[in-house]
Amino acid sequence: MCEKKVEELTYVQLSTSINPSFWNKFTEIKLEVDKLGEIEHHIWGYYNVIPQKHGINLLEVDSTSFNEKFNGQNMYIPFHGKLINKNTIEQFKESNKTDLINDEGKSLMEKIKNELVLQDPSVLNNFFILSFADLKKYHYYYWFAFPVPRGLVVTKVASNLITETFSENEIQILCSQFKELDNNLRSYFLVERIENGCKLHTLQNKIKNVTLQNKNQFYFTFCNIANTNIAVGSQLKNYITMILYYCPFLQGQIANFIAFTLSRRDDFSVTCDKSIIYELKLPSQEDYTWVGWEKNERDRMGPRLANMKNTLDPYMLAENSVDLNLKLMKWRVLPNINLEKIKETKCLLLGSGTLGCSVARTLLAWGVRTITFVDNSTVSFSNPVRQSLFTYLDSVQMKPKALAAAENLKMIFPGVKSQGVQLSIPMPGHTVGESLLEQTKENVAKLRELIDEHDIVFLLMDSRESRWLPTLLANYSHKITINAALGFDTYLVMRHGLRDAGDARSDPVNHREGFKCINGTELGCYFCNDVTAPGNSMKDRTLDQQCTVTRPGVSQIAGALAVELAISILQHKDGAKAPAFYKSPQITSIQDADSENECLLGIIPHSIRGFLSSFEHILPATEKYKHCIACSDMVLKEYSENGMDFLLKVFNSSKYLEDVTQLTEIFNDIDLEDVLEFSDEDFQ
Amino acid sequence: MDASFKLEDFCASIENIVAISNSLMDGWTLHKKEGVENGKYITKKYSTSLTTSDANDIVVTFEYHIAYHLSYGVPVLCFRVWKQDGSLLSIEEYWALNENLKGSSMYDTLTQLDHPVLCQPFLTLHPCRTQEIIQPFLQHSKNPVISWLSVVGPFVDLTLPDQYLKLC
Repeated sequence: MCEKKVEELTYVQLSTSINPSFWNKFTEIKLEVDKLGEIEHHIWGYYNVIPQKHGINLLEVDSTSFNEKFNGQNMYIPFHGKLINKNTIEQFKESNKTDLINDEGKSLMEKIKNELVLQDPSVLNNFFILSFADLKKYHYYYWFAFPVPRGLVVTKVASNLITETFSENEIQILCSQFKELDNNLRSYFLVERIENGCKLHTLQNKIKNVTLQNKNQFYFTFCNIANTNIAVGSQLKNYITMILYYCPFLQGQIANFIAFTLSRRDDFSVTCDKSIIYELKLPSQEDYTWVGWEKNERDRMGPRLANMKNTLDPYMLAENSVDLNLKLMKWRVLPNINLEKIKETKCLLLGSGTLGCSVARTLLAWGVRTITFVDNSTVSFSNPVRQSLFTYLDSVQMKPKALAAAENLKMIFPGVKSQGVQLSIPMPGHTVGESLLEQTKENVAKLRELIDEHDIVFLLMDSRESRWLPTLLANYSHKITINAALGFDTYLVMRHGLRDAGDARSDPVNHREGFKCINGTELGCYFCNDVTAPGNSMKDRTLDQQCTVTRPGVSQIAGALAVELAISILQHKDGAKAPAFYKSPQITSIQDADSENECLLGIIPHSIRGFLSSFEHILPATEKYKHCIACSDMVLKEYSENGMDFLLKVFNSSKYLEDVTQLTEIFNDIDLEDVLEFSDEDFQ
Repeated sequence: MDASFKLEDFCASIENIVAISNSLMDGWTLHKKEGVENGKYITKKYSTSLTTSDANDIVVTFEYHIAYHLSYGVPVLCFRVWKQDGSLLSIEEYWALNENLKGSSMYDTLTQLDHPVLCQPFLTLHPCRTQEIIQPFLQHSKNPVISWLSVVGPFVDLTLPDQYLKLC
């Protein structure tokens, strides 16, 4: 391919790529070394001279760009750069771009004139980055520039493939001589045509020997950084500027150039036989101004913005990793699981002790982001070993449990929105005197507000009577309610029935022979169940009674089960209205009965009773008790009609509840020993 | 009994890869983190253009790492991909762009794990099946890492030229 047509050369500018490690190192230097100083840093750029698969070759900067010495591998040529960082976005915007690039150009001219360029020709490969780093947001504004003289016009007289001028053998010699050069000498050198072949010279050794008479035996060679062999890299203009300084007699003359281009043969070996020889007519030497700012991704003259928040901000790394762990579950095991729903669910934890801590941690692991703790006590010395959110120091400082739990949860995962509310929950039979009246009313109002703001209410207190008010309020507000209570080596985890909003009865659920099925709307609450305790022959003592004397594993197990039950409810199409089954004794597996109604995680029992002495679970389901002291229609009606007055009557005497629910009347029919325990003395 | 792939064998293999790479100007680099038993690993970068789902071409750079996993006792291939501004592609973004992984098993194959040496999250071909893949090479290949890479590399756009394979 031999062109004799006279035309201008086509120049291309380098594309740039920033290794994430560059921003990392830059941030470190800015924060730890430069601080408020606006210090310019020399930086190395790396250009790979071996063409890549898809013809994409980039100038790269990375963390090693800040090193004193260039330590690129053998396929890199160095670019000399400078990082000019501004402290404010205003300074970044207002800095004079023309002056900046002219200053860099002048500094390059200095390096040409003081012969530095001969020792290290790679200084002709120059660039700088103007930047501003918003380190709080991990936003980096940056603008690359590759200064070249403006208006330097070179005319292409002829061009042809190197193979037309040099023999295959000569080309091979050139290629191996090139590989022997130091990285910084590879960008620009001389090739001399000698009697029996050709010879490669460094500029330092030979450029001063070029004369007008012998110029035709020399080829000014440059490593072409254009990814195509019909164009040349814009740095050629710097090379020509240098040539004209050392060989001023070439002004207006035609000189030989080689655009040295490496490529791979089919056998992967490296060759330079795609190089192009140009005959170029050089212009006269002038004082140039300098241009070369890089266009941004919108093809405009303007800076780019690297948003490195997801890559560098440890907060985001934690956030994304937590989510990813759950997504792996979705991708691998449960493609239909609705993780967003879990993430958005707001959980209210009433009680911040062993159960509260265990529930919070398991919720966190499931990706729940909003967790509110309620408790009225402070961290005691015995707490930290059992209650996984507290430390010894919290007990020394007597921190309120709810607040300490919320704070410590954030230390575990800063992405959680956790808050602690110090609050005493009013209880039936705890007489409210005049002095406590206002406080009690406030507490009720606060509790009601909290319940309304959340989606799931967890009852995790250590006393039975403190569960009564939240059971009533959560039921009244149609909230999913999960209850967990502990005995010494037993535990109960259950969901409360979810009252139908429109009082409409749900359709009866079909159930198979041998199983009983109860609609989610008809399931009992904690208080119903104590009355109509399931057919468990074990000692029927109230679980709370020995609240603090428990096998330590019990709270971890029950807390985890409470969360897993809640998550299963969230994944069921009917939520807490999902029916529950319980089996008659002759049938072995409850899964058989409930397969039609299970969610993607499995069945949703009404309650789980566990016995550590035998390491067993049973899954009883019980209906609402129509005389229940907490969830019956009678109680709800009283509350909805008389509100605070009703509550105060209950607080002053739990006997009042028995009247309301007509329990007194039917007292003789059932053995209601458990209900009668509903008074203070039993808990002391 | 299955032969095991020892850390020394791994180090010899990757040093061999770097030596071949240097002669080919192929870009594999040896790194060593001091004070870490399995501190030696090798890396290589390459840039390419990928087409996003909304038909835009983006230029990305891959950086492959091959390190030794002490508990699995096998080499691990992990990598990061970044855009020109330095921001990393997430595993989901990468999946969306990688045709090779559009099979049902992609979630099992490629995941995000901590780099065995650097302890930072990297996209990783899960090492749990590596033992199975590398096993047949342990007796017959002079460089089991190369043999293994020639099998798994193409899944993530990493191909080794024949020059490496000749030495196996």
